[in-house]
Amino acid sequence: MTDLLNEKLRLLTEKYGVEPGRISGSAGKWFVEAAAGGRSVLLPHRVERRFQELKNIVNNGTLEELSTLRFANMSAGGDVRLALEREIDLAAWLAGSPVKSAFATADGGKRTVNALFKLVSGVSVCIECSNLLPAGRPVMDRHEIIAARGVASDRVVDTQVPQSSIYLIADGAAAEYTDVDSELFGLSEFEVTVVRAAFALLVKPELAGEWNRAAGRAAQVAAACLESVVAQRVVEFEEEVTK
Amino acid sequence: MKPLKIAMMSLTHGHTRKYYQTLRDNRKLDWVASCAEDLHAREVYELYKTGVPCYLSAEEMFAAHPDIEAVVLASANDRHMEQVRFCAGRGIHILSMKIPTFDMAEYDEMIRLCDKAGIVCQVELEMHYNPVVLRLRRLIEEGVLGRILSIQATNITLSPVWAFPWQGDPKASYGKVVPLRAGDSRFRGGALCDHPHIFDLIRWLTGSDFESVYAEVAPNLRSDLKVEDMMLVNGRMKNGVSFLFDPSWSRMEERLKVPAPGWEVFPKRMEVNLTVVGEKGVIACDCFGPNVYHNGAPNDRYTVQYTYFDEWIGLIDEFVDCIRNHRQPQINLKWHKHTIEAMNACYDSVAVNRLCAVPKA
Repeated sequence: MTDLLNEKLRLLTEKYGVEPGRISGSAGKWFVEAAAGGRSVLLPHRVERRFQELKNIVNNGTLEELSTLRFANMSAGGDVRLALEREIDLAAWLAGSPVKSAFATADGGKRTVNALFKLVSGVSVCIECSNLLPAGRPVMDRHEIIAARGVASDRVVDTQVPQSSIYLIADGAAAEYTDVDSELFGLSEFEVTVVRAAFALLVKPELAGEWNRAAGRAAQVAAACLESVVAQRVVEFEEEVTK
Repeated sequence: MKPLKIAMMSLTHGHTRKYYQTLRDNRKLDWVASCAEDLHAREVYELYKTGVPCYLSAEEMFAAHPDIEAVVLASANDRHMEQVRFCAGRGIHILSMKIPTFDMAEYDEMIRLCDKAGIVCQVELEMHYNPVVLRLRRLIEEGVLGRILSIQATNITLSPVWAFPWQGDPKASYGKVVPLRAGDSRFRGGALCDHPHIFDLIRWLTGSDFESVYAEVAPNLRSDLKVEDMMLVNGRMKNGVSFLFDPSWSRMEERLKVPAPGWEVFPKRMEVNLTVVGEKGVIACDCFGPNVYHNGAPNDRYTVQYTYFDEWIGLIDEFVDCIRNHRQPQINLKWHKHTIEAMNACYDSVAVNRLCAVPKA
């Protein structure tokens, strides 16, 4: 898989005249190393189109006075902690505010976690994560941003599950496809985000520091959050400015 | 490869603003100038702060930038013939908007002029570079549906006439003033002229050409328009595939002078959906979805915020490649002619209220 991602990254860097780099990683942790050196963590969700548009909606004043973020992430297997890290970073990034406190409950095996967060800005966040979908099922996630003026979401009203661009219903076969990037046609939605994230860092190397700090912060919050399951008390974090 | 010196002309077409980012980002291009149809078009252009100089006449622009190699003709349909002649005479390559002309004599003259000049003339049908369409075509080619029996498609939008008035002007849009039919106060030049994509896609997806069409217009949703805004088309391809198309302006809009947030009244302002039925099953396809959704400013209405509009990247890539490597684009004037003939046949069908044959490709 990594070879294919690097092939696609090479096509982009050559096409747009950007210094080359190499993607590495797996299982939810991805990195890019520029030819000039320096390995940076990737935050693929930050370049995903739906989240970029949600970020635009927050930043350009379409929503006014954020109140609450309601996020969900259900997967087939996988590390719940990594999923939690992703959702925590998304919440802090979309709302433009770091996490101030967290409280979580979970099952004994931590296969399902329900967490409440307070951001420094005062915004509340709830995140539900689990990894108990049957094998082979795609991730089901949902991101809803509630403000005094307006609600924004990546899920259309009156639907509970992600939609697709194409539904194939044929003899003995049913399949769904969502293709979002002609330049990277052939990659899955997730693979596209990994390549785009690597490309974004190669185009704008100064982003690396921000992403490294954000990833570290999200990991710290997720770890403390899971520890709070045992202690059953609210965890407070020191304030830190996120961009 | 040496960057292609490119310019934009007129700046009155609804797609004008969609080129700006691609023209700036693509390293194969050097966007050197623009010329506006009039002062208003230049004022709107300046809102986008492209940093590219804008002139008020093509002659002035070419005098200042004699190295221009290609242009995007972002103009009203009735300006295309004159502009193609102007560019062909100077050996300038052309990226034409989706309707070169509805006048088939003019159309043949455009072909002749471009052939004589040895220039590339690519027609802007951006759906060919849409990733969902690429997937749909691949699935059909892989035979997952078996033999295709029918295709139903929508190309429905809000009406852009308030921001782009020429699209509501029969002469500027259709090229001449032709009543829809006897006893009808409306004229050709409305929603159908804005929506060639599904007529084009069915040819690409089936590999077949049009045999016949039957079209009906409904009462207008906008009673003050001179042109049709609601149309339905039924027909058959030469290979037997039957089709049903909706190329209407069936989504209402705020009457903005410049496209901006809050333009749409219906949540999704533009849709290209296809249902393909084959002997083994069905594919339902939304070329512009899923997206994200909100009910925030400016109108607090439930609104689709699109997440994908990158067709212009592939389109421009092909245009540059064709010029530099002396190739013909997939959507060239000759190929596209039959699509325009089918659209004209729709208007003929409305006029005579019966099935009309489409001239052979």
